Amino acid sequence: MDYQLSPQEVKMQQDLAAFCRTEIAPRAMMLDGSSRTEAGTYMKENLKTLAQSGWLEPGYMSDFIDLIAVYLAGEEIAKACPATFLSVRASTFLCAGALRLFGTLDQKQRYIPDLMKAERIGAFAYSEEQAGSDMAAITTLAHKDGETWRLNGEKNVVVNAPIADVFLVLAYSEKDAGAEKGMSIFICEKDADGLKIGEPVETMGLRGVPLAGISMNNCVAAGILGGTHGKGYEQVTKILTMGKVGIAALCVGIGNACTEISVKHSKERKTFGKPIGLYQDVGFRLADMFTINDLGRMLALRAAWAINTGEHEADIMAACAKLFASEAVTKIANWGMQIFAGHGYVAGSDIERLYRDARFGEICEGASEIQRSLIAGNELDKFLPR
Amino acid sequence: MDFSLSQEQRMFRETVFRYGRDEIAPLCEEADLKGEFSFEIWRKLASFGILGLPLPEELGGSAASILNCCLAGEALGHAGVDGGSLLAWGAHTYLCAHNICTFGNEDQKQKYVPKLATGEWIGCMGLTEPGSGSDAASISTTAVKKGDRYVLNGSKTFITNAPVADVFVVFANVNKAIKHEGITAFIIEKGTPGLTTGKPFHKMGCKCSSTSEVFLSDCEVPEENVLGGEGKGWIIALSGVEWDRCTLLSPMLGAALNNLDSCARYANERQQFKRPIRSFQAIQHRIADMKVFVEAVRLAVYRVASAKDNGQMLNPLQAAVSKVYAGDRGFEMASEAVQIFGGYGFMHEYPVERNFRDSKLAAIGGGTSDIMRMIVSRIMMM
Repeated sequence: MDYQLSPQEVKMQQDLAAFCRTEIAPRAMMLDGSSRTEAGTYMKENLKTLAQSGWLEPGYMSDFIDLIAVYLAGEEIAKACPATFLSVRASTFLCAGALRLFGTLDQKQRYIPDLMKAERIGAFAYSEEQAGSDMAAITTLAHKDGETWRLNGEKNVVVNAPIADVFLVLAYSEKDAGAEKGMSIFICEKDADGLKIGEPVETMGLRGVPLAGISMNNCVAAGILGGTHGKGYEQVTKILTMGKVGIAALCVGIGNACTEISVKHSKERKTFGKPIGLYQDVGFRLADMFTINDLGRMLALRAAWAINTGEHEADIMAACAKLFASEAVTKIANWGMQIFAGHGYVAGSDIERLYRDARFGEICEGASEIQRSLIAGNELDKFLPR
Repeated sequence: MDFSLSQEQRMFRETVFRYGRDEIAPLCEEADLKGEFSFEIWRKLASFGILGLPLPEELGGSAASILNCCLAGEALGHAGVDGGSLLAWGAHTYLCAHNICTFGNEDQKQKYVPKLATGEWIGCMGLTEPGSGSDAASISTTAVKKGDRYVLNGSKTFITNAPVADVFVVFANVNKAIKHEGITAFIIEKGTPGLTTGKPFHKMGCKCSSTSEVFLSDCEVPEENVLGGEGKGWIIALSGVEWDRCTLLSPMLGAALNNLDSCARYANERQQFKRPIRSFQAIQHRIADMKVFVEAVRLAVYRVASAKDNGQMLNPLQAAVSKVYAGDRGFEMASEAVQIFGGYGFMHEYPVERNFRDSKLAAIGGGTSDIMRMIVSRIMMM
């Protein structure tokens, strides 16, 4: 047992942190304030920057994804620019990762190298207007037209949609078979007949993320992920369970950024003759920020390890990590704002941007309420009356 | 990173859990109501080898790793053994016996440790004073060298096990001019003239640990009873902190697991409005929070323990995180457990009530939550 990161892991994280500090972080404010069209352009540049430096590539064709490495890298990218992390993740983890885990050899070769080099951008389209956590409620349908699968339906918020070249789309391929047997993930390319990308959506935070709905009108799919239909539910559940570790990375990364700038401000800002961090109320808030972020990281690494090793109840660990880290970061950002006070509330301050970004964690990919229901159900079922 | 427990460790935890559940937990309700130290529980802990767990084999212990000590604490708490009895174990084994093992000379070890390991003798440690709690370096108990003896004067308070102890490790200052560098630890035996203990305190929780004041009135201690050398007391006191942040917290983790189990069971069985209360989201979500808490606090506690086992220096941030989270969030979660049980939770006969009272200690003993925040914020502001 060893609960500390190895020297190699620490070094990898430090190197990536240094890279992000100079290449990614300085662009965060620009991405946040840019128009939706510009955001797409800038984000593509960020993806390219990260890809060309080799941060996204190692081991990418293996069908084992080391979630601890994914987590550690994610935390640093998110700390530098949360929006960039979310966009990178949608392309290289949700899209390329699903291809790695479930794709046929041909599918892997056709898409993964391009996605990891950011030659092409990926997206993962699953939720709909009336189907978020209740995945079975999706209405997108696929039907076979000769040898071709055609899709009909709409996905309302798809990360990277405005800049994506490859979409993975969740749809019913056999509605009557029910969610667990009747869903499939389809691969759709940007130029496919019948695929329409909507207008970019404005958001409260993470404004650098290119986001739009997509609609499919007899859209021609390039194939089914893995080649056989009916496996979509299992596939999407697996990738989204792993994805909870990624959301924890987003949250802990934002938490780190908030904590770091809050400490700096607490040292520099003086009132009544001394730095505000020496006042107990501020100092103790800093301690609380550190504490819950540190625990969020431990839970995320614990969950990553559980999934890596195939541990029993790894999905529950992932839910605990996502729930904890996301609730932690909204508190951290809130306390950070309080520490910056007037200096933070003005537009253009980092804490103001991070405060808006942080709020996404508790909402996305299974809101806190859903995580709690999942965790509680698992515990309660252990004591069902005989 | 490696979060695994070995097969052996899992079996060890399971074995201790079963023993605690079958042999000790049934005694705890009555003992807690009496509010006295239970020699029956003590003998049960002793006969299973719990009291000597981390002590060297040649001195009657089992040379268990720190992590295994945590697993035992967790398992006993999980099994429903009360926090007081486990606190008595902690003060005895870690703060008294293990300190003698670590800092004592050969004679001291041979004389005291074997009998402490078997529980024949009960140990305690006295640092805190009426006027010196969190500010531990400010103790005013003095030790004056007189020939081959030291004469101790002063008083200690909140000393776990003092009313039943045979062996006292007591801190006094030999030279207050040099502040904490004068602090020295002494081993004092029960019956030494000038050493008396007060009446046991009535406490909010952890009632089966007996706690009182210790008075030193011209108490003469032979110089061979100095532990670790003159002026080494501060280092010994600080080393206790490492135990406070892992092994002494592990029963609190155990109690939280005990609450989680009993709440999950109760929520399935208890019917209101013609359905089990587990079907209400407000109940479910409390259960979820309790689960998240136990996983997070387990990581925090094991992290400190495994670092100690691996010979790493105590990371003061990681130590403080463990303590403040176990203390503050642990109390909130223990309160939610009472809430799930409603009126029954308010009654003595349900362990959630006892766990609630016991849980408050984690935010107070061995460095309050406020002190933990002070430590963390000072490091951050450096």
